[in-house]
Amino acid sequence: MSLLRALHAELLKLKRTLAFRVIFVLPFLVATLQFFIAWRTKRFASDFNLWETLQTSSLQIWAVFMMPLLIALVTALLNGIEHSDRQWKHIFALPVPRYSIYFAKVIVAQGLIFISTFILAALIVVVGFAAMYLRPELANSGPAPYGAIAKSASLVWLASWLIIAIHTWVSMRWAGFPIPLGTGIAGTFFALFAASAAVGKYYPWLLPMNIFLEGRATTAIVLGVAGGIIAAVVGCWEFVRRDVLI
Amino acid sequence: MESLIETRGLTRRFGARIAVDDLNLSVSAAGVYGFLGPNGAGKTTAIRMLLGLIRPHAGEVRLFGLPVAGNRASLMRRVGALVESPSLYPHLTGRENLEVTRRLLGAHRNLIDGALDTVKLTKDADRRVREYSLGMRQRLGLALALLNKPELLILDEPTNGLDPAGIHEMRDLIRRLPEEFGVTVFLSSHLLSEVEQIASHIGIIHEGELLFQGPLSELQTKQQTQLIVGVKQIDSAIDCLTKAGWNVHHSVDGMLSVGAKTSDDAIRINNLLVEHRLEVFHIALAQPSLEDIFLTLTTNQSAGRRAA
Ligand SMILES: Nc1ncnc2c1ncn2[C@@H]1O[C@H](COP(=O)(O)OP(=O)(O)OP(=O)(O)O)[C@@H](O)[C@H]1O
Ligand SMILES: [Mg+2]
Repeated sequence: MSLLRALHAELLKLKRTLAFRVIFVLPFLVATLQFFIAWRTKRFASDFNLWETLQTSSLQIWAVFMMPLLIALVTALLNGIEHSDRQWKHIFALPVPRYSIYFAKVIVAQGLIFISTFILAALIVVVGFAAMYLRPELANSGPAPYGAIAKSASLVWLASWLIIAIHTWVSMRWAGFPIPLGTGIAGTFFALFAASAAVGKYYPWLLPMNIFLEGRATTAIVLGVAGGIIAAVVGCWEFVRRDVLI
Repeated sequence: MESLIETRGLTRRFGARIAVDDLNLSVSAAGVYGFLGPNGAGKTTAIRMLLGLIRPHAGEVRLFGLPVAGNRASLMRRVGALVESPSLYPHLTGRENLEVTRRLLGAHRNLIDGALDTVKLTKDADRRVREYSLGMRQRLGLALALLNKPELLILDEPTNGLDPAGIHEMRDLIRRLPEEFGVTVFLSSHLLSEVEQIASHIGIIHEGELLFQGPLSELQTKQQTQLIVGVKQIDSAIDCLTKAGWNVHHSVDGMLSVGAKTSDDAIRINNLLVEHRLEVFHIALAQPSLEDIFLTLTTNQSAGRRAA
């Protein structure tokens, strides 16, 4: 019950925030890039599959790069509004358990990333139809694979829960952008090296990407979801014990 | 009478420094309790422990007769608090700020208009808080604390940073609360003059320790007549008067305050100083203000501590 109250309050706090705007902007960037590629490519290979290419390349750019940075940004912004005027001392003196506040933050971050990922999914379809219209040779690409796109987008999102949990804890723990964004940049940067190594199968920042790889997909989903829940519980356990000094 | 706030042996350290030392507060349901102490005395630290924001290293806090540990959520339904500066979302309007807290409380919608009205913010309720003046922010902070119609209101230096008009307004507002809403106010401040007009009970804290606790009237009985002496050669004057058996303190503005009661004493002291060729430029009997008592209490304490 108190979790619902906390979520209800979180929704109002989102009003007019940057967090609620960036989730619309980033998918547009990825889709715009995809659109120009489809539109300006000189010659398509004979086995070129428009929907297949669009879907995987958009969602992979998203999974390995854009979404992790979006998570870092969104969680830092969501918790920044609490750090800015030292809200914790007010919120934590209310008759609401601290864990409700914590999980509400996790859930709102998950929700925003979900919305953003599905905006991208919708834009993939739009870009696909635009390409079919602008490039006659692609006109026979067939119907849009709505189901497949929705499924990949959902899996990418599920595999991101662990990153979301890590970033929620980091951005609650440290005010300001340097540490949360540093964590996101470091996480994404090391993903470049971890990708080809065996550890890449378990590396949090690679899990969303791993859902596209045979042999790693199941681990990615299980670890993303279960790891995300466990990390949120552990982070919450640590956070509710902290002294509220600011 | 039931104790609203009761602390026993409350202690909190920061590293090696003791911020609150074996504090035994007792606040009963009545009007306004002034929690006084100079900067760094431990007021905010004590209040954070009352609210369960930080944990004590020793001792316990009881609110409404129940330990806060284990009952925080249900007890906090009956408490409203404003700790240091108000916590507001600048990107939301005043009304939306109240709505956020209302949702967290699960309280009724119509409480918001009442709270806005109490702090006279109805007119500015739909402006964003980033446009608010300091005084408006402070009043909105008070509205947040009052939203749930608390039985106990804990305010930590609510007039900090306000101009004289703002201080006056805030003081009037706080003074009205006990009568109008039946709420008991626990108010911290570093200025006695600020609370002596509205508080019925006083607690004085200094370097983490409680020096005095009781009705304001009891503090007033400690007021004793003093002879305020202005003399050019202060050190020699102290020497001379102490040798003659008078009790001498530094008073404010570089004057001396002597434990003398009658005009005869004044004459005697004046003669004594003049005989020693000390140049007296001011001499007057005075009732020390409560501020002086406060100052004496707190400075004696640190002097004693340093000597020990
Ligand atoms: N987070 C902290 N870390 C270290 N020391 C602290 C911390 N908070 C308070 N202290 C120390 O504890 C003591 C009491 O501080 P506190 O803020 O409770 O005083 P206060 O009475 O509220 O003072 P003020 O009138 O300035 O608000 C001070 O010596 C202060 O330096
Ligand atoms: Mg303080």
